[in-house]
Amino acid sequence: MALVPYRGRTMPTTTLSSLRDEMNDLFSRFWTSATEPFGLAEWSPALDISETDEAVLVHAEIPGIDPKALDISVVGDTLTIRGEKRDATEQAGRNYHRVERRYGSFTRSLVLPASVEADQVTATAKQGVLEIRLPKSQEARAKRIQVTGT
Amino acid sequence: MTKPTDVAVEKHDAATEPPESYFVPATDVYETTDGLTLVAEMPGVTPDGLRVTVDENVLVLRADPAPADEAGDVLLKEFEVGPFYRAFRLPADYDAQKIDATLKQGLLSLRLPKSDRLKPRRIEVTVE
Repeated sequence: MALVPYRGRTMPTTTLSSLRDEMNDLFSRFWTSATEPFGLAEWSPALDISETDEAVLVHAEIPGIDPKALDISVVGDTLTIRGEKRDATEQAGRNYHRVERRYGSFTRSLVLPASVEADQVTATAKQGVLEIRLPKSQEARAKRIQVTGT
Repeated sequence: MTKPTDVAVEKHDAATEPPESYFVPATDVYETTDGLTLVAEMPGVTPDGLRVTVDENVLVLRADPAPADEAGDVLLKEFEVGPFYRAFRLPADYDAQKIDATLKQGLLSLRLPKSDRLKPRRIEVTVE
């Protein structure tokens, strides 16, 4: 059996999908390493995006961020989340043994898969997980077409 | 040195079987003159799903976040929800009875006060 690198934050995967992850990881490291040293890239929250017939749902992991300090906007079909995870490691009187959390300000923009009602977007944060619910516009909702005939 | 170290899971968790796979929460550890503070990122964890135990100077953090409501078609998945697990061996000089834990915005903060013996003491010099 081949040695598999330890991957702390992943659930068990099939060999094929972990190979895909490895390749994706390799490429993403390749593109970022030109400007940023390994491991020092700015932090930005991980996102999950899902879509139902009525809405687009965006979940983000934002542990330790005050949700009120987030800046969420929808322009056209682009959703933008801005915020900052404040670095407390520079505070006086603290002798750090471990710094594993990552800090920094971030901006994430994504093109939504459907047009949404921008004025009906809601965002709630619970225990460090942000949920943005973007109801789809009437035109974008799936319509079931009834077939008539005999 | 009073430095907490990671410990292997298996050795200290024989009684309760750990889940097959778990997430290791990113943790900052710092020391002040009063004590030691651990700050662990556990997004999605509620106080009900969290267990912090100390056994023979091994601090164990266990948490089960509430499962996300999986509705609709997934378009992008950058994180998954699953149990958190992490164990630290504490220096002997901390009193497990006095550990103070708070959970806020997905961040678990543990404060371990130093025993009086360890606190830096300033010795006043009296001038005669």
